[in-house]
Amino acid sequence: MRSTGQDQKKAISIWQRLHIDVPLLLGILTLLALGLFLVYSAKGQETAYVYLKARSIGVALLGMFIVAQIPPLAYRKWAVPVFVVGLLMLLSVLLFGHVGKGAQRWLDLGFIKFQPSEIMKLIVPIMIAWFVSQDNLPVRLSTVIQAFILVLLPTLLIAKQPDLGTSLLIASSGIFVIFLAGASWKLISVCIALTSAFIPILWMFLMKPYQKQRVLTFLNPEQDPLGSGYHIIQSKIAIGSGGIEGKGWLQGTQSQLEFLPERHTDFIFSVFSEEFGLVGVTALLAVYLFVVMRGLWIAVNAQQAFTKLLAGSLTLTFFVYVFVNIGMVSGLLPVVGVPLPLVSFGGTSMVTLLLGFGILMAISTHRRFHA
Amino acid sequence: MNKKVTKKNNPLNTAPWRYYLVLAIVGLIYLALMARTAYIQVVEPEMLQKQGDLRSLRVAANTVQRGSIVDRNGTELAISVPVQTVWADPKIIMDNNALAMTEHWQALADVLDQDINSLTARVVKNPRKRFIYLERKISPAMANYIKELKIPGIHLRKESKRFYPTGEISAHLLGFTNVDDKGIEGIERMYDELLTGTGGAKRFRKDAKGRKVEIISVKEAEYAQDITLSIDQRIQAIAYKELKGAVQAFKATSGSVVVANIHTGEILAMTNSPSYNPNNRRNTAIHRFRNRAITDIYEPGSTMKPLTALTALEFGSAKANTVINTSPGWMRLGGRRVSDPINRGKLSIEDILVTSSNMGTTKLALSVPKDYLLTKFFDAGFADDTGTNLVGESSGMMHDRSRWSEFELATLSWGAGLAITPVQLARFYVALANGGIKRRLTIVKSDGEAPAFDDEVRIFSEENSLAVTHMLEAVVDEHVPKAKVDGYRVGGKTGTSIKAVAGGYGNDYVGLFAGIAPISNPAIVVVVVINEPSGDLYHGGEVAAPVFSRVMKGALRVLNIAPDAQESRTASKHIDTNTSKANSREKTNTTVAGEHHA
Repeated sequence: MRSTGQDQKKAISIWQRLHIDVPLLLGILTLLALGLFLVYSAKGQETAYVYLKARSIGVALLGMFIVAQIPPLAYRKWAVPVFVVGLLMLLSVLLFGHVGKGAQRWLDLGFIKFQPSEIMKLIVPIMIAWFVSQDNLPVRLSTVIQAFILVLLPTLLIAKQPDLGTSLLIASSGIFVIFLAGASWKLISVCIALTSAFIPILWMFLMKPYQKQRVLTFLNPEQDPLGSGYHIIQSKIAIGSGGIEGKGWLQGTQSQLEFLPERHTDFIFSVFSEEFGLVGVTALLAVYLFVVMRGLWIAVNAQQAFTKLLAGSLTLTFFVYVFVNIGMVSGLLPVVGVPLPLVSFGGTSMVTLLLGFGILMAISTHRRFHA
Repeated sequence: MNKKVTKKNNPLNTAPWRYYLVLAIVGLIYLALMARTAYIQVVEPEMLQKQGDLRSLRVAANTVQRGSIVDRNGTELAISVPVQTVWADPKIIMDNNALAMTEHWQALADVLDQDINSLTARVVKNPRKRFIYLERKISPAMANYIKELKIPGIHLRKESKRFYPTGEISAHLLGFTNVDDKGIEGIERMYDELLTGTGGAKRFRKDAKGRKVEIISVKEAEYAQDITLSIDQRIQAIAYKELKGAVQAFKATSGSVVVANIHTGEILAMTNSPSYNPNNRRNTAIHRFRNRAITDIYEPGSTMKPLTALTALEFGSAKANTVINTSPGWMRLGGRRVSDPINRGKLSIEDILVTSSNMGTTKLALSVPKDYLLTKFFDAGFADDTGTNLVGESSGMMHDRSRWSEFELATLSWGAGLAITPVQLARFYVALANGGIKRRLTIVKSDGEAPAFDDEVRIFSEENSLAVTHMLEAVVDEHVPKAKVDGYRVGGKTGTSIKAVAGGYGNDYVGLFAGIAPISNPAIVVVVVINEPSGDLYHGGEVAAPVFSRVMKGALRVLNIAPDAQESRTASKHIDTNTSKANSREKTNTTVAGEHHA
């Protein structure tokens, strides 16, 4: 806990110089290491996937380290232009994006293919945090409404791709900022009411048939056990068959025998539950809780409104990842494509997340020099 | 740090309570996730684990063809032959609208000898089923024809059908299997496990694509074994042929023959008439399936008299040369009358057996203590099964009450008041013939000459057993000409009993004959029971003895046993004039022994 620097007179530690928040890093590394073991198990003990994941972990950690060196105020300066560029990229995805897996999410720049929606997960909270911290807090109603529109723009563009999971994450990251900035309860109630009113519109006009099917399946997975209910039923069986102590690493039948779909990505939690049981789940959730608490701690201790809001939003978005993913695979929520953060295989989301943690670390370690 | 926040409150006044609220919400959601997974893992796991196993655990049965049953020389008595079974997959039929092929279905119905409407109705009624038997175990020709019809959803499947090459000859003994190849009668049932083997089974996990990934347990297939019976099919065939002829000729209800090897206790033949065709059991009355040689009990009648005589000899109340006065040919025992047809006067024990004197037998029986007599009857095995383990074997009916009147002892001594199976009777004669050793009978071939089981018990002395055996030769020689076998010295005893009905005795008889040959060196025992002969002849010496003679003759020849009668009989006739029969027999013995040594 020394990086928290209760006493500024103390010599600045090496970690502080490197702009690394040690508790956060430990939590992250635990999750990443676990991810390596689970991907090995989930992919039928193929080392190729472990190697790929290790490589993206390396890249992402490097990215996090670099981002952590940038003083938070730099983000504030660049918030608007970056946001505009991001929106343009989302537009161009819709116009001439690369189609993969039935959705238009990728932008091919010739030398690299990437998902602009991923980077928007960082840009949107930065942008909104900048926007609301222009005024004194708590925010006024007009600011809130404008902020909402700013959130809505990228959300709708991404929902159009379609990528429901990401658009929800982005929307929530923006809304967290607005909430933390102190929107009045009256306002919050109005928003909830509006959202409720929006749901039928979403259902009728915006959601694709397969998305509707997912919701229907969520409500009653057993109606079509071999079709749309297959994922969630197999996943619940995997979790449940783990019991209290689990079957042991590499021993899960649902996962090893490929009954579980997407077991190295979105459903990796099922693999974990089957192999490590309730004991393992408790431990894993404790690690996540630790990371989230550390993030919130950083947010609470941030010395500027912008950094405070940004740190809170990034942390909460991370938490939403965890909640949505585990809720989804355990049948609490409909199936939306959200990976288990840091553990799932999949480089893009991990890079984004670690960049986000880089920002958190920057907020945590740079604040002293601007205090 | 709260201090800091309050100091610089202006830009940082972002309502810290919101963070606490957020913390609370985060905590709550965590609790919800924990509760959810705990619920799935602790409350529901059994159901889900079962579901998991249902998805991945499979058992593959590995069937084996049923073993054959062969006789002691390897002749096949029961074999499995591959046949085809025709089945339907109604779902495929409905999907392909195959019912529209009316002509094909008509042809199918014709070849299966079924009504086309009921045939199609079975398909229409179960449109979602995937398997219905249409007809099981059809001939290869029918199977080919059905194959050529090429009706979608009509399939053939290999099965095996049991075939009994010896037909009705060994039907009762072998029993049969049901349509699923499970033995339900006779040897088929008794040795079902060995004959079936245990089709090996593999429990394994398969993955979502159906590949085997983990073999959890393998039960090695225990291959079906062949069962080698002690039966000699050649003797069995002779026995059945002769028995069938006799049952028809004497208009008998039924009959049984048992042939046994006296040294090993092996049953060489066991057959009953009437029999049935085991290859087509349709319309066969169920009582015909009964293996009467082991299931049915009869009063053995005079075939018990040798046992009574042996008992007296064993106790010492009579010697081989004792003479008993049976005059005046009748006596009263507790108000009941015991009599011979005529007054036979003074009789030796041999004469008592030869003339089948009730008076003489009674006097012999009463010359020993009651318990001694009863013990010998129990020793003879009339209250136990014979050890064959055959399905449905009866243990006979021999009272173990303690109070026996003299008259009851008398009737017991000539074979009334107890009822035994033909195999039990054979077992007693086996013990008598082999010198007094009781052993279990076996229906399975034993190796070499050694008895199949080592639990043999000596129940009579060798000397007395031999003496009675020789007396039985005189019985055949002098009293039962129809039991004689050319070239062999044969001993035996007739029996004729009246069948008991409710409340007493009825009008039906049972004719029996139990005999031993060759007397010079006993080898086999043949027991013949003719049940309820309804012609003019009913006496054991008339109805059973001829069957005995021919079966014994056939058995001796099949077993390649040297004739022992030529010189000895002529010799004995010459000497017989002046000397006692016992003397002549002794000489015969020495002669034969000499031959054997030479």
